[in-house]
Amino acid sequence: MTNTETYNYNVVRQFSIMTIVWGLVGMSIGVLIASQLAFPALNFDIPWLTFGRLRPLHTNAVIFAFGGCALFACSYYVVQHTCHVKLAFPLLAGFTFWGWQAVILLAAITLPLGITSSKEYAELEWPIDILITLVWVSYAVVFFGTIMRRRVSHIYVANWFFGAFIITVAVLHIFNSAALPVSMWKSYSAYAGVQDAMVQWWYGHNAVGFFLTAGFLGIMYYFVPKQAGRPVYSYRLSVVHFWALVFTYIWAGPHHLHYTALPDWAQSLGMVMSLILLAPSWGGMINGIMTLSGAWHKLRTDPVLRLLVVSISFYGMSTFEGPMMAIKTVNALSHYTDWTIGHVHSGALGWVALVSMGAMYYLIPRMFGREIYSLRLVEVHFWTATIGIVLYITSMWVAGIMQGLMWRAINEDGTLTYSFVESVQAMHPYYIVRALGGAFFLFGAVIMAYNLWRSVAGAKPVEVEIPAPASAH
Amino acid sequence: MFIQHIIGLFTDPTREWEKIREQYESGSGNPIGHVLALALVPALSGYFGTTQVGWRIGVGEPIRITGDSATSIAIIYYIALLVGVFSIGWVIHLLGKAYEVNKPLPLCIALAAYTATPLFLIGLMQVYPVLWLNMLLGLPALAYTVYLLYSGLPIMMRIPIERGFLYSSAVLAVGLVALVAMLAMTALLWGMGLQPVFTY
Repeated sequence: MTNTETYNYNVVRQFSIMTIVWGLVGMSIGVLIASQLAFPALNFDIPWLTFGRLRPLHTNAVIFAFGGCALFACSYYVVQHTCHVKLAFPLLAGFTFWGWQAVILLAAITLPLGITSSKEYAELEWPIDILITLVWVSYAVVFFGTIMRRRVSHIYVANWFFGAFIITVAVLHIFNSAALPVSMWKSYSAYAGVQDAMVQWWYGHNAVGFFLTAGFLGIMYYFVPKQAGRPVYSYRLSVVHFWALVFTYIWAGPHHLHYTALPDWAQSLGMVMSLILLAPSWGGMINGIMTLSGAWHKLRTDPVLRLLVVSISFYGMSTFEGPMMAIKTVNALSHYTDWTIGHVHSGALGWVALVSMGAMYYLIPRMFGREIYSLRLVEVHFWTATIGIVLYITSMWVAGIMQGLMWRAINEDGTLTYSFVESVQAMHPYYIVRALGGAFFLFGAVIMAYNLWRSVAGAKPVEVEIPAPASAH
Repeated sequence: MFIQHIIGLFTDPTREWEKIREQYESGSGNPIGHVLALALVPALSGYFGTTQVGWRIGVGEPIRITGDSATSIAIIYYIALLVGVFSIGWVIHLLGKAYEVNKPLPLCIALAAYTATPLFLIGLMQVYPVLWLNMLLGLPALAYTVYLLYSGLPIMMRIPIERGFLYSSAVLAVGLVALVAMLAMTALLWGMGLQPVFTY
């Protein structure tokens, strides 16, 4: 059968470029608010520049704008290439792009104005939540529509991860954002008290588990074998750890609510499920690392591989740290301290950002029929990013342990040894180191943006014909 | 012998790693004494710093730990350091299979021990336990340790630098996991009531 159809690269290109743009924006805000914690005068007494308003903007920008665009771009690319078919419903795919950008812009306007639902990682108010739902359902229709039109019977494992991520995020978003509007920009959660908290952290932890893990594992399962030029180390392991991961993650939310009004049995269940989660997480890490290990001879010529090696190592480290911190006794010390912030960033910078950047180094030049402008600059990016992450997480480890110990120190007569403000004062040097680490990471991202811009400047977008699938065997 | 190696690792690491390799390949090397001696540096410094010098958080009198309490902490600390180095050496030995090398266990332990040397030596700073200063001094030591790992592993294992990069990254990841495990264990023991006894 001859086929002259081409892939829909247009929407992939749009999302890839916005991944870089929103990455720079989100990380810059991160560096700004990290500096504000070290030097509070940096909010200049302007309400919309204060930490309380910019912090949700930072998290929304890096998770949903940077991470979200990377996921859209990669899933649209991977599903077309592994199904040997053009993306279904091109108009709807275009709507997901413009709709998602509109969501991000609305977030960038409402959050600094102080308009928030106050739910962490779900701060956006109800009209924006409705738009998110429309975009997300369209995304599901486009993605699964493409899968249904596939010209090979097999569904590659990366698509399983993308599919699980799309369905679960839809369910999480709809349930957690259920609210009663009282005006255009104010609503109240449909749930009350501890139920509200539990729904929120069922959502919150699975935003980590499905948005930031399953989706990015989908990216890993396509781009790591591609970049290494080898098949996945163990396909069986990938399928086993997929089902184990999606089954276990959904139960782990209560570890965000240790020692709260949540019933004790629910806390313990959350802790046990979090500990079990180590196994499927490491299944993914082992598969990724072993796939890359066979390609060691390519490391000399391909610095992108290094980025991927380090990202999978950080995935392994942070998925070990998470279960440890979910143990109630450890959590009693670590909760509400900067240890949590360090843990999140070893996952977010080390794993999510690096694997996305690796994928962007693969995608963007290809979208324009070019090679990477400078491999040397990729290497510089690799080192600045790695140094930045190490500075960030080591300073937060020390800061977090110190906060935990200071808060629980008591005198012989039972009074607290330290006032809260003394613990804040003690954090000053670590907050400077943390801001420095963030600045290093941002600088690496700027180098990447320059490098990719030089790679594609002046080039025309390419059209690629869809090859016929290999004949059945 | 190991004093020379330590100096060499700071002045000319590549040549010194080769010398260490020759020594262990000929079977005349034994890393145990080296580890036992070096791990004493942070353990004893920590004991001295926490009992005699003390530290200040914010304002107020320096905080110290009672002698009895500090003795048991120093012993646990010493044992933890030994377990850390030997188990990482053992993991290097085990990981060899995945990277197609088979080196004797003493050589792998020596690799772990000599790599960690800058960290052991900088442990001396704990005689003056001011956390931010310790962190400032500790970071360059940590950086040099990472450098020694990436430069030393391919030499000790006789493998190409690229394969060594992957192998070293795996060892580093294991090291980070061990560190996190140690943090969690500390928090766990502390929470179970085995915390140090402070004097103000």
